Amino acid sequence: MAEEKTRVLENKPGWIASINPWVLRIVNNPERVAFVLHRVTGILMALIIMAHIYVTGTPAHTGWEAWVEEISKAQGFSLVTLYFFFFAGIAWFHGLNGIRLLLVEFFGVCIGKPEKPKPPYLAPSLKACQRKLLYLVFLLWPILWALTGYIVFFK
Amino acid sequence: MTFDAQAATRTPPKKVIFRIRRYNPEKDKTWWEEYEVETYRGMTILDALLKIKEEIDHTIVMRYSCRMGVCGSCGMVVNGMPRLACQTQISEVASEAKPVIELEPLKNHPVIKDLLTDFTKFFNKHRSVKPYLIRKNKEEVEKGDAEFIMTPEEHKELYEYTLCIACGLCYSACPVAASDDRFLGPQALTYVWRYVSDPRDEAWKERLEAVDVEEGPWSCHYAASCSAVCPKMVDPGAAIQRLRSALIKYKLGLFKKKTAKKAEIPKEQIKPKKPLPPESKLVEGVDIEAMDKAPVEIPIEELIS
Repeated sequence: MAEEKTRVLENKPGWIASINPWVLRIVNNPERVAFVLHRVTGILMALIIMAHIYVTGTPAHTGWEAWVEEISKAQGFSLVTLYFFFFAGIAWFHGLNGIRLLLVEFFGVCIGKPEKPKPPYLAPSLKACQRKLLYLVFLLWPILWALTGYIVFFK
Repeated sequence: MTFDAQAATRTPPKKVIFRIRRYNPEKDKTWWEEYEVETYRGMTILDALLKIKEEIDHTIVMRYSCRMGVCGSCGMVVNGMPRLACQTQISEVASEAKPVIELEPLKNHPVIKDLLTDFTKFFNKHRSVKPYLIRKNKEEVEKGDAEFIMTPEEHKELYEYTLCIACGLCYSACPVAASDDRFLGPQALTYVWRYVSDPRDEAWKERLEAVDVEEGPWSCHYAASCSAVCPKMVDPGAAIQRLRSALIKYKLGLFKKKTAKKAEIPKEQIKPKKPLPPESKLVEGVDIEAMDKAPVEIPIEELIS
């Protein structure tokens, strides 16, 4: 008699679902919010860099003079300024959070020291200075983005 | 996982609706089913599930054993957060405003039926990191004629990692394990660091070289969800970062391993010391030392007569 194979549900959310905040709603975990934002900004930066390479590579096909003429039209408020503004926002978050991650992931600092469990049973790394650095990133990000917006739009 | 003492002492809503994600392997069908349960103060999710199984629907399947957060069998996703059903009180997750609790099987673990998940892959990964002490000279362990000394500070460095009960909550919360099946996962990597940092272990080089692969600590992105859901405060997120940092140091030749001193067990039996009298006066007005020195007066004559 042939053995019946037990059927199981794989139950793997996948990487797209892993950045969906509604798949898992873990309390006291702003690091996961930072992880999602870091991943999204990273993907956007990769796309922007590819678009940037395409745009700056255009003179090879159209000729330098025609390209300079086309680019010089983009003065004042335009799609190009909006692009710079959004790129600045993406780059500021990715850069600031990247510094925090470098400290934590490669130097193993800012994650606290192991300790014996005591109420309210919060893991040491979640109350270490990496958490303070994360709040600093969330504070600095809009400030720096707004400053960059001021320079892009009004200077 | 933070313990909310105030929420645990609150009285839960009188009636709570349990929305349970069920799975029938015979029909390969998944659906949500609702049950209304009357609660009492101090009732846990597991208590409610057992009540559902006994009184409403006998077909519901879940796994549990100790009922006190020690065995790690009853892990499930409660309102979007992996938790132990026996350790979670209804008052912590349901309120009068929203008396609904959603229960799902643990993510990243294959579902056998309803809330019952298959831990075979998870335990295989755990087994693959050799979660036990390894000494080069096996005889010294087998004979048992020596003791490996660890200072209290060294013990404190690894104590929290020894509390792991392999409940799989960290693996369920991990966004990397959600997309990469080969990733060893927070639990197995925590065990690697637990033994690498143990001064008594002598296989640290082999352990570090074995995890220096893509599916090792390099895949971790530090979302710290593993540390946030751990019911035993093990902090797997920090353990992985320490392991990664140790790997970098090892590659650069800067990693220093602490080694335990070997103490011979004395052949002669140690005589127990005479206990000393307590230093402070236990009872007000009674001098223990004076009483100890004073001769014992037994009224023999009175006793004989």
